[in-house]
Amino acid sequence: MKHLIIIIVAIFFTTADTNQLFAQSSKDQIEVQVDGLGCPFCAYGLEKKFKEFKGIKDVEIEMETGVFTFTYPSDKAITIDQIEKKVDDAGYTAVTTMIERSSGEVEKNEQQKTEVTEDSEVIEENIFVAGNCGMCEARIVKSAMGTEGVLSAEWDKETQNLKISFDSAQTDVSTISENIALVGHDTQLTKSDSTVYGALPGCCQYERK
Amino acid sequence: MKIATFSMVISMSFLIGCSLSPQEWAHQRTIDLGSTTPIGLTVVDQHFWVADGDNNQLVHLDKEGKILFKEEGFERPMHITTDGKSIFIPEYGKDQVTIFQGKDKVKMLLTDSLDAPAGIHYNDGFFAIADFYNHRILYGKEDQWIRFGQEGKENGEFYYPTDVHIFDNQIYVADAYNNRIQMFDVEGNFLLTFGAEEKIKAATGIFVSNTQVFITDFENNRVLIYSHEGLLEQIIDRDLNSPTDVFLHEEILIVANYKGKNLMFYEQE
Repeated sequence: MKHLIIIIVAIFFTTADTNQLFAQSSKDQIEVQVDGLGCPFCAYGLEKKFKEFKGIKDVEIEMETGVFTFTYPSDKAITIDQIEKKVDDAGYTAVTTMIERSSGEVEKNEQQKTEVTEDSEVIEENIFVAGNCGMCEARIVKSAMGTEGVLSAEWDKETQNLKISFDSAQTDVSTISENIALVGHDTQLTKSDSTVYGALPGCCQYERK
Repeated sequence: MKIATFSMVISMSFLIGCSLSPQEWAHQRTIDLGSTTPIGLTVVDQHFWVADGDNNQLVHLDKEGKILFKEEGFERPMHITTDGKSIFIPEYGKDQVTIFQGKDKVKMLLTDSLDAPAGIHYNDGFFAIADFYNHRILYGKEDQWIRFGQEGKENGEFYYPTDVHIFDNQIYVADAYNNRIQMFDVEGNFLLTFGAEEKIKAATGIFVSNTQVFITDFENNRVLIYSHEGLLEQIIDRDLNSPTDVFLHEEILIVANYKGKNLMFYEQE
């Protein structure tokens, strides 16, 4: 009898542990480094919007660092592209994204890097790009840096000047400008589509000329 | 005689000018709040209550600025108000207003649903609430409420209102991302707008005194001070760091700095 009780108890705890492990391991852990969490009203809005997505749990935003974490059911197999799309839709810009799968496997996004070769001719230019805040800055810089051939990009909120360096063999100011306009920011060369502009978060809706 | 008349006119003009021009607000002291990130502020019995949005708590300080206690468990508390007994806390993340008294927390009963309430103000039995994602204002008490406004840029429309203040049967709204202040009567009829000329970037917090309207200009690190008619009287911009709220208590102006993590105090000179 004594042995039987021990066996039952052992089976119970083994099962409980397995269930617990299963429950824990059925979620992917996602961490996104979001740039430009300057405005609390928008940042809290991002958190609120994510909480409304079905399946997303444990949403947390660390305002100081811009680290935004949540969990998502593993069987949905969410991708980095899907996460970054959701972050974009909420008006933010994901700098780095990492998924730790329930299996322990880790996936990270990789930012494109332009290689400078012997044939490269590096040019520096300054262009006007309209914007308001830290969130704008993150979006503008990411868009510029996402253009193949761009080596560096710095945008100043006060002057609204974008300082870029790029390989003229791979790209030009016009292409960079068009890419920036695609994310909602008017430049001295290209005007953004009004629908895209209208979808920017409230704090990013700069005064249009 | 001609000279005497001229001198008299000049003297009169000077005296009239002095009596009409408001006194300037000057910085007196700053209270450092440590890790607290103030979004909203109110005062009860000389004590300060600060809504700490990032840390989901309400912070209670004595008049010297010493933290007495922190009440946790709110979801993104925003611009708060008081009736002298309770603190009314709009919880942005919970879509509700919570009434906090002593240690009790009770959900405020409303006849309408909210989507991210960002500000509330109490005056003489009535409340006004800034309903951020619904781009509208609720005004009323108990089961008698009106609502006005919709998303837009025209007069009477809002683009993410963050704070409200009731004064003398008028409702003043910090129309955050329209970058302006709007004034309405208590039936929700539009009366006046101002602030556009100053190129505000995110009008986040508002307070109305007997003579002036104070508004925080979040991205520009400024507090703008207007007459009730919307004439700009003063700009405070020194050492402010992302101001989110402003409050006048016994002739002392208090500014809550979100990124500065402090309260700055001003008196008229």
